[in-house]
Amino acid sequence: MTILQILVTYREAFLSGLIVTMKLVGIVWILGILFGITVGILADRFPALVGYPAFAITFLLSGIPFLVLLFWAHFPLQSLLNVVIDPFITASWVLTLVNTFTVSEIVKNVLRDFPEQYVIAAKVCGLSSTTTLLHIKFPITFRQLLPPLLTSQVNILQATLFASLISVNELFRMAQSINAVVYQPVAIYSALALFFLAICLPLNGLALWLKARYSRNLSER
Amino acid sequence: MLAAINISKSYGRVHVLRDISVSVHPGKITVLLGPSGAGKTTLLKCMGLLERSDCGTVRIDGKEFHFPVAEGHSMRPPWPELTVVFQQHFLWPHLSIRQNILLPVQHRTDLSLPRFHELIDLFDMGDFIDRYPNETSMGQRQRAALARAFVLNPKFLLLDEITSALDVEQIHNLFLHLAEMRKRGIGILLITHLLGFARALVEGAEGDEVVFLDNGVVIEKGGVELFDNPHTERLKKFISGTRFNT
Repeated sequence: MTILQILVTYREAFLSGLIVTMKLVGIVWILGILFGITVGILADRFPALVGYPAFAITFLLSGIPFLVLLFWAHFPLQSLLNVVIDPFITASWVLTLVNTFTVSEIVKNVLRDFPEQYVIAAKVCGLSSTTTLLHIKFPITFRQLLPPLLTSQVNILQATLFASLISVNELFRMAQSINAVVYQPVAIYSALALFFLAICLPLNGLALWLKARYSRNLSER
Repeated sequence: MLAAINISKSYGRVHVLRDISVSVHPGKITVLLGPSGAGKTTLLKCMGLLERSDCGTVRIDGKEFHFPVAEGHSMRPPWPELTVVFQQHFLWPHLSIRQNILLPVQHRTDLSLPRFHELIDLFDMGDFIDRYPNETSMGQRQRAALARAFVLNPKFLLLDEITSALDVEQIHNLFLHLAEMRKRGIGILLITHLLGFARALVEGAEGDEVVFLDNGVVIEKGGVELFDNPHTERLKKFISGTRFNT
């Protein structure tokens, strides 16, 4: 069977896996970015209350392999709490937790490193604080934030594959199931690789382009 | 008039300014000279209300700002009637030169488009008005920064070492721009290391002032005669030591 034949024959299985992956990554991207930006802003404004605890959590999380964290949340934690949680929900929350603290660190660092001289220039030009926020702080911060944010979200998309290991029927797990039936690993995993390349490469490329473009714009600092 | 009266400023145990009084009159230039670390930029920031002095008063056209500011009281500095051009220009990098100049005045009704075009001509910015700051030379950025300040119709303009990194032709053009601003009634406080430039600016201009600052203290102040007949040994030494820098 060719790649195309496999995709057509098992389209429903692939599609259901794709939908689960997209749902998972959609939840993790949206919640992680929203929570992350909130925590990042609070960490910048209230270092003692939010900044240091958030950094401690990020530091702790960076020391635990993601797979260990996922398995720990799926097996021992649920056993300790004596609950059974749907693996999709477990994967969503673990990935959201990691994404939140990854994004919050990026946001906090961008805010902390904001070139204050641009705000001073706005002040002496008589700009109001609202105009300064909308026309100076926000656009510059956004340009600084976007490249690392995009790169981190690509990493999160790739990390969704680990959800298959706790029985979430996402794309990788569906590909494994189909391969168990037809045993065409080259074709199936090539198709899977192409799918991820089609999503991840443009995002990574966009991140690189934005970084090159906007870091150049700030070069006169 | 813009005046700093008995201003003092310390950072921790380091006294940067000690009981300094300096004034800038409308249509006049006050040149601030002194070695590095003398406290010139700190004084400029204090007079521009970007730094709070430890004590003293800053008077801007009759409005007084007393220091230290009482707890719970906030200052409302009269920016942009009093504005500052910095050595590094601080043009907003995501905006073109045109946008940099127009953003501060887009909500103001006292600027007409002919005035903006007049500024483009005055500062010879036609060739680069739609470029981004990173696409322009240092001299072009400086003209843009001056134009951004000038378009605001300031009464007082504080200039912090804007001659650095400029070639002789650009310095000559800057000289003409400053003379034009003075003619239009703007009071200018200028920090520069270029004695020849400072001298040329105040020479023949009635009422312009030269202030020599060292170690946070005003050592001497006066007119253009200060360059030829300094009274203190410190200023004599400073002037003789700058023979390579005219």
